[in-house]
Amino acid sequence: MAEGVKGPERFLPLTPAVFHILLALADGEKHGYAIMQEVEDMTEGRVQMGPGTLYGSIKRMLAAGLIEESDDRPDPALDDERRRYYRLAALGRKVLRQETERMAGLMALARRKHVWSGVG
Amino acid sequence: MRERNWAPASIDLSVQIYTWLLAAYPERFRAEYGPHMAQVFRDVCQRESRRGGLPGMAALWARTSLDLIRTSVEEHIDRGIDMNRENFVRWSGWALMAGAVLFAAGLILGSFDTNYSDPIGGLDAFYEISQIVGIVLGQILFVIGLLGLRAGYGTRSGSVGGALLLIAVIGGVVSLGGMLIMNSSELGWTAWALGLLTMTLALTGYGGVAIRRRVFSRWNFAPLLAGAVIPVLFGVSAAIDSSGGSMEDWTFAVGVSATAVGLILLGYRMQAEAATTSQALA
Repeated sequence: MAEGVKGPERFLPLTPAVFHILLALADGEKHGYAIMQEVEDMTEGRVQMGPGTLYGSIKRMLAAGLIEESDDRPDPALDDERRRYYRLAALGRKVLRQETERMAGLMALARRKHVWSGVG
Repeated sequence: MRERNWAPASIDLSVQIYTWLLAAYPERFRAEYGPHMAQVFRDVCQRESRRGGLPGMAALWARTSLDLIRTSVEEHIDRGIDMNRENFVRWSGWALMAGAVLFAAGLILGSFDTNYSDPIGGLDAFYEISQIVGIVLGQILFVIGLLGLRAGYGTRSGSVGGALLLIAVIGGVVSLGGMLIMNSSELGWTAWALGLLTMTLALTGYGGVAIRRRVFSRWNFAPLLAGAVIPVLFGVSAAIDSSGGSMEDWTFAVGVSATAVGLILLGYRMQAEAATTSQALA
């Protein structure tokens, strides 16, 4: 985290776990196991978070105001009341947008430098 | 799908063991998230049992053990959201350096102990206490250092390098556990020696990987120096003992010092390279 930087930029660059959790919550609230599954599906199994990584990240993201707990229950038929649901907070959405813009900038730079030419 | 009768029992047992292992986390974290972590672990166990059977469960345990060791250390350090990978690697580099100094000091001072079988105290109390404190604290710091090494360099070390680092971490944990039960059980000595041997042999193997793949920007020989000397000392000592002789004290001191130098160089590289990465990303 860069010192002296205000706003969403102070969280950048995000750790892989925080980035993937924000991305998993981008299309709606989820409980812990659903976040874990979504991350595995999104990355085709390349990113597998353990419970410690998941809840350690969730704890820090709640404290930083990137996500918040949700009382809503999306599907009462499938719901388990013991589970906690999480959703993106407004700050989390801004941070996610800025991080993806930062990554897109890096991708554009790599493309301009022909990083992929002759690879694969 | 064929009925797996062992599955529910193995899932229940796995969740029970995992719930016990949650004691490794700080109390507040455990109270807040422990039940949810156990629930998620149960869900993953059910899925892995369906998908992969017993090998799937074994692989899940391997991943989860590493996750538990790493994140419990992180939670105890509790560095907040800025405790990213670079910071963890940097601090674990310092841990490796401090651990090397303590471990070497503990072993070398302990060699001045005049009577290994007497209770702690008396004229040689300073040497006895220095040995215990130095080795125990040193080994705790080694485990943190090796976890940082794996977190920071596991990917670029390839699958063999990553596996060797994992074996080194497990060896370090076994050795530390052996040290802690040494007073109450004969098994403690065996666990300590076998764990230390496993840790250093795995580090020696990793040294070969580091040299071949140029994992660090310089001093790629450091893991080899850190790992190879203790197994050689073990071997030479066993050979001399079997022929009725005894190893010269200076050989032991030189060997342990060489190990410490290797670990200090390795720790210095870790913290220096992590600091550079953090500055570049900031």
